[in-house]
Amino acid sequence: MGGDAGASVIELTDVSKVYASGELSVEALRSVSVVIRGGEFVAIMGPSGSGKTTLLAILGCLDRPTSGSYKLVGEEVSTLDETHRARVRGGRIGFVFQAYNLLPRTTAYRNVELPLVYAHVPARERRPRVLAALADVGLSDRIDHLPTQLSGGQQQRVAIARALVIKPSVLLLDEPTGNLDSKSEEEILTMLGHANLAGATLAMVTHSEEVAQHASRIVRLADGVIVSDEPIERPIAVGAR
Amino acid sequence: MTAALEHWRIATAALKANWFRAILTALGVVIGVASLIAVTAVSAGASADVAASIRRLGANVVGVDGEYISVGTRQSATDRTITPGDVAEIAKLPMISLAAPHQDVESLVVSAGRFRTNTWLVGMTPTYAQIYNQRIARGRAITENDISFGRDVIVLGLVPAARLFPGRDPIGGTVRVGSHEFEVIGIQARRGQLADENLDNRIFLPLPIVTRVLLGGLNTVHMAVRVTSESEIETAQDAMSEILIRRHALPAGYPEDFSTQDQASVLKEAQSATTTFKALTFALGGIALLVGGIGIMNMMLVSVHERTREIGIRKSVGASPRVVQAQFLIEAIVLSTLGGIAGVLAGIGAVYLIGTIAGWQTLIGVPSLVIAFAVALAIGLIFGYYPARRASRLDPIAALRYE
Repeated sequence: MGGDAGASVIELTDVSKVYASGELSVEALRSVSVVIRGGEFVAIMGPSGSGKTTLLAILGCLDRPTSGSYKLVGEEVSTLDETHRARVRGGRIGFVFQAYNLLPRTTAYRNVELPLVYAHVPARERRPRVLAALADVGLSDRIDHLPTQLSGGQQQRVAIARALVIKPSVLLLDEPTGNLDSKSEEEILTMLGHANLAGATLAMVTHSEEVAQHASRIVRLADGVIVSDEPIERPIAVGAR
Repeated sequence: MTAALEHWRIATAALKANWFRAILTALGVVIGVASLIAVTAVSAGASADVAASIRRLGANVVGVDGEYISVGTRQSATDRTITPGDVAEIAKLPMISLAAPHQDVESLVVSAGRFRTNTWLVGMTPTYAQIYNQRIARGRAITENDISFGRDVIVLGLVPAARLFPGRDPIGGTVRVGSHEFEVIGIQARRGQLADENLDNRIFLPLPIVTRVLLGGLNTVHMAVRVTSESEIETAQDAMSEILIRRHALPAGYPEDFSTQDQASVLKEAQSATTTFKALTFALGGIALLVGGIGIMNMMLVSVHERTREIGIRKSVGASPRVVQAQFLIEAIVLSTLGGIAGVLAGIGAVYLIGTIAGWQTLIGVPSLVIAFAVALAIGLIFGYYPARRASRLDPIAALRYE
């Protein structure tokens, strides 16, 4: 799903981000360099204010680094304008947010279809892809439900289907289980493990050590710099299956 | 273009979600478009009315009115200034096809039995009837024979006919004018208004009876001519003035003892009085549209604000600024266009009401409907642009975090 396993999907080199507000300027990221390869499942951890959300925004092309280079599947994306970044987001990046961020008053089907519409996928090709994506997250019987008619776990599964329907190069997750009970959390993490096994590359921001243990690698940030970057030898996700 | 259908679906869903607000917002456009259509229809109707009046009252008619000047002329008051010689010479002008003297008494009480009415008497000839396109509704017109045999006959306009012979057939009846009695031989067909004069409140007698018997003398105060074409009207007026000045031997620098005026200009003048009113209503319609446009802009700004998070979501899944802008612009256009359609319908309804209640002639032209519709569309485009632009420029991160 995410290109050749082992090839670098994300390549950050000396990336800094400075937020300037008035006379104050805050350095959220300082010369961060990291490589994420195809098929990896990376957990990004750190206390609040450590820069992990900023890092995820830059990885997701929602924000631009102040300096440094960001190559996504070999393409330099740090200098793109908003129109081209929108194209990269729509074509290569899948997002899953803590608050699900589904469109209100819009069915599960339409929510999942949305990225395909913006990516100019012809209408007749959309339907099978949307149905397949919803089937992958076990919601084939909920396609016409509105977000308000779905549980939190189900909403997050719709969000995962929406993120995966474009077959992204990388799936970015921001506290994906932060709003869920432990049963739903387990479901979602299992689902992400499956996607990872199927080849998807994942980068997940979390503050929970337990959740992070589902990843294959943990990158820890503090004060805008990477303080540790270690693989997990035996991901519990595999053991749990 | 990213699925126009998708934009349409998003726009209608968003409007449906806030349908009451949408209706209130569109109301300005509805009122503006409706009033523009109503004004256009009324003024087109008035123009058509004038054209029809000119056809009905006789085209290219110029009236010459004698005016008594007390100093320095050789005419006396009883001369009534237009002589048979004046008429004969003017009739020979190449651009004059017909010339007829007539003598009017503008306010006169006449009676038939116990019924009396105040009317306007015209002493005339068949040529006069021809110039003014006079039609007879019932009975017959005054002929050359009536004039040469000196018959005491009278033709009534619709108003004196109704007042003097209520519920009876006037033909064959007797009308008393001063000390003379006349036999009613015909009823003039409806002529309507010329400016503020009711042309149906008229009675017609053979000219010689009026000049010789009722008033004495041969001259008349009035003359009517028909000019060969509309483009010759001014030349004809100049040529007639020249003849009259010479024949009346008016000393240089003295005011003319006559005036000329063409009938079409009287009609157009009467119509132009309504032009001010029209312009005012048009301006009000324009202001309503402007206010409607501002209303749309306001609602769209509120809508963009309320849907900040939605915009963030759309951007995160690949919507470019242009696509977001198109989405909100289309929503504004859908709103103003629906307002435009409702406005066109309301306008047609208003025109129909004006036509039935006020009795004005109205004319709804297809171009005016198309233009009104296009204006509504343009309003959506113009006033939707800024809010849409604002939506397209929202920072996706800030938009996603927005609660």
